Amino acid sequence: MSLTFFPKPFDLGADLRHWAIVMVVIVVVSFLTAIVTSILALGFAGPLQVLAHMIEGFKDLLGTSPRRCLALTQLTFREALRRKTLWVFAVFALLFLFAGWFMSDVTADSQLQVKNYVSFVLRTISWLILPVALLLACWGLPEDIKARSLHTVVTKPVRRHEIVIGRILGYSAIAGLVLAVMSVIGILWINRQLPDDMRSQLIARVPVYGDIRFVDNDGNDKDNQGNVLTAGINVGDEDMFRSFIEGNTKASAIWEFSKLEPKRFDDGGRLKFESSFQSFRTYKGNIERQLMCQYTLVNPAKKIRVQLKPFEVHEFRRNVYDVAEQNKTLEDVNHNNEPVDLSAVIEEGTLQVEVRCLSSAQFLGMARPDLFIRLPDHSFAVSYFKSIVNIGLMMVMVVVLGVMSGCFAKGPVATMLTAFVILVGLTAHDFMKTLVTGKVAYNPTITVQGTGVMDSLYRIPKHMTPGVELDDSFGVRMMKTFDNIELNGLWAIQHVIPDFASYDTSEYVANAFDVPWAAAMLPNLLATLGYCFPWIIVGYFSLRLRELEAK
Amino acid sequence: MSNLTSLQRKLIYLGGIVLLLIPITWLGLPPEPKSAKNVEGSPGGKLAQERLRGGLGESDLGNVDPASSTMNLLLLGFRGVATSRLWMNAIEQQRNKDWAALRDSTESIILLQPHFLKVWYFQGWNLAYNVSAEWDAVADRWYWVKEGIKFFKKGRDRNEKYAELYWYIGDTTGKKIGRSDEWKQFRRYFRADPDVARFNGRPDPDVNPKGIDNYKEARDWFQRANDTVDRYKIEQHIMARYLFRAYPGRALFDFAATLQREGTFDEVGRAAWAEGFEVWTTKYGTEEFECPPPVNKVKLELSSEEFKRLLTEDLKEPEERNRVTFWVGRYQDTTNYRFWRTKSQIESELQMSEAHRAMYEAEQAFHKADTARAIELYLVGMTKYEKLLNEYPELKEEDETIDEGLLAQLGWRECMDLEETPIPDEYPLKEMWETHPQKREFLKDEFNRRRRAKR
Repeated sequence: MSLTFFPKPFDLGADLRHWAIVMVVIVVVSFLTAIVTSILALGFAGPLQVLAHMIEGFKDLLGTSPRRCLALTQLTFREALRRKTLWVFAVFALLFLFAGWFMSDVTADSQLQVKNYVSFVLRTISWLILPVALLLACWGLPEDIKARSLHTVVTKPVRRHEIVIGRILGYSAIAGLVLAVMSVIGILWINRQLPDDMRSQLIARVPVYGDIRFVDNDGNDKDNQGNVLTAGINVGDEDMFRSFIEGNTKASAIWEFSKLEPKRFDDGGRLKFESSFQSFRTYKGNIERQLMCQYTLVNPAKKIRVQLKPFEVHEFRRNVYDVAEQNKTLEDVNHNNEPVDLSAVIEEGTLQVEVRCLSSAQFLGMARPDLFIRLPDHSFAVSYFKSIVNIGLMMVMVVVLGVMSGCFAKGPVATMLTAFVILVGLTAHDFMKTLVTGKVAYNPTITVQGTGVMDSLYRIPKHMTPGVELDDSFGVRMMKTFDNIELNGLWAIQHVIPDFASYDTSEYVANAFDVPWAAAMLPNLLATLGYCFPWIIVGYFSLRLRELEAK
Repeated sequence: MSNLTSLQRKLIYLGGIVLLLIPITWLGLPPEPKSAKNVEGSPGGKLAQERLRGGLGESDLGNVDPASSTMNLLLLGFRGVATSRLWMNAIEQQRNKDWAALRDSTESIILLQPHFLKVWYFQGWNLAYNVSAEWDAVADRWYWVKEGIKFFKKGRDRNEKYAELYWYIGDTTGKKIGRSDEWKQFRRYFRADPDVARFNGRPDPDVNPKGIDNYKEARDWFQRANDTVDRYKIEQHIMARYLFRAYPGRALFDFAATLQREGTFDEVGRAAWAEGFEVWTTKYGTEEFECPPPVNKVKLELSSEEFKRLLTEDLKEPEERNRVTFWVGRYQDTTNYRFWRTKSQIESELQMSEAHRAMYEAEQAFHKADTARAIELYLVGMTKYEKLLNEYPELKEEDETIDEGLLAQLGWRECMDLEETPIPDEYPLKEMWETHPQKREFLKDEFNRRRRAKR
């Protein structure tokens, strides 16, 4: 089983640039809004006050005292304990005590069973820890203000941003403690719940992915417009993640691997491929035999082509192909079948693999993550705890967002606001991206039309499909202009609201993959920092300007 | 604004609570069984009594699943929302081919809807037919067919009074296993599961506890479906009663026919037909089925004494006789009763099994390119077949009979052609060949398909 998405490679430079641009835009817009508002409220003295506040704020930030922050963290931690945060363990224990009732022997297939258990544990931990973090963070400051206990703090020589940071660290610490205990119990539960023979499925595969392109039935690797073919044939499968190549034709899928380090391969140099292609039959054929597939290793520079021994594709299974085990010798078909060494094929860490279906008039379906070079497995525990760290990062985001909201809103409002942002971030990020870019997340070759509100309002009563071109009239131009404005607004919202779904790395762990550092850990870590920093600033200014007596 | 004091208000609330408790207690008092202390026992409140009267208690419906009850209680009034969400998830997971999650979702759905028959039917069918077809390896397909059957059985455990679930188990065990494209493998796997590591070459006890043929197992489930209808005096909602009751017998006919299809023409095959005949005529045939008044009830099979009595004592008026004859004929036509009675009778005879054997072996010889032997066997088989059909002419117009005869003719003619021998003027089954020109064109496809499959 492979992933149902492709782990997006992380481009640090580009993403930092993107973040900086968004930050500059936000700062400029906020500054201008503050200036205009201050003029309206206070006349021309307003901007001076804004500047004074900014300078004060800057000074405050420079004078941050770790000691005071730590003291406030301890205070927050104790308060949270007093608020009976640890009661969440009771719910957790209940769920795990009775989970066996709901899940036992759902399926006897070991891979599917392991997947269910791991998903259940990680999902349960997320669903329990996030509401705890949300409620703690959103109600902490507003309750303190309401009970006037914050007055005893602000009269002490502490800066407002230290209160914000102290709250964030305190709540993160207590929620982190709960998360740590839950995660340990979770992994013990998985081990205990699984039968002995299924525990061998608790692994973390380490894949090296390549880039994929296709060659059509006539041997063309480009379409009529000269674009590289990024998809094969659509066989009518509702799920368009994979596309297909026809057997016994010139059609193939070509993976290009780069930055390979052969010494990192299994047993110090054994090249192992793992695939999970899907089969599509146009006729039954011999149903007791699976469709045949063949890999060809190619070195385009040296014009070396090594056709490997064909193998049967076991659908929805892990098809591991050990090149050395399956092939006694590697022969170069371009040079009279002369024996060739693997090191000659992999040149400067690059390797091209052509995949063909050998069964006539049958099809094999594939997407980018369906073939990878398998490096030695990592420990399941490492992958599991990496996923827990991601849940922890999301929890910190929730805490920061909740504390920030609590700095300017009352408890219920702060809770609603934070919950809304989380909900949108979890469920609607891809949808917003689809509306803004007009491309679906799982397959960029699919274009979505008619994404504007006005456009839809016009088409629906007229029973017009999105594909129908509209007349070039004044009304239509106005409508399109309005839709553009609104979609640009959505673009901004999409960037302000974090993509919380990317913190859910349970699919890696459940599918027995290692959680990749570069594609899943680092981006989430940097995204957390990238969002938290401005949120803390917003929280600080909100608390600084807030009239504490106004409950 | 009220002028009441805090204490007065509390007292009023208390009074209200006590008042409300009276009807609640009257309605919801739990029943008490008879015991040493309470000799009489207690029927409980109105709700408990109604539950008992309608047999609607959880334990009356089937085995109580504590997980299901807990889940329903925990969700309070949100069961509908949760169920809808789970159904949407299941459909999405199936679209994405996430089988583990789909199986998990089906389990959650049935925890929330344990007594909703259509849920069991939809998801059981989905697993056995749709999900299994998504997998390429036959052993994997078999795994999902079993999942479907196990799902139905789980449903049966939770809902012992649903005769439909017994029938679905029988139908899937019989039809899905016995008539799929993979029927040969599935029938083999039913008796020796391909998961050798788990079952050590034996059948999966959850689907075949007795280690018997799939059609025999199906017969047992169909019989249990009929017994459940009788025991609880309930109705099933799959089909008309006179069709539903026929299934134990039909499963035996399928069993016997499949043995022939697999090349078993010995005593076992004949005994299977004989058993089918016995069940068909003495059990199913003697059941009474309702029909509109004034006839009210008819049987599909009558002994000669019963028939005589009916004509001389019960139905003296010609009008009454006509009505009875009409309804018996109608039910017999709908269920193909006479055909199966005759077929099972004739198939249990040695002559017929030898005719089948000769035609089967002729086809095998043809596939091995032994055309001379094939011609010889075809002629023997066709001659015997024709003789028997002349003895039982009512079978001559039945599709299955014609198909078998014409397929043998096609094989024989192909062999004659390969041997470059002209077709003689007179040959067995000539009348059948000349009477069905359209059908023989249609059967050429089937004939060629069988040839290709043997290559």
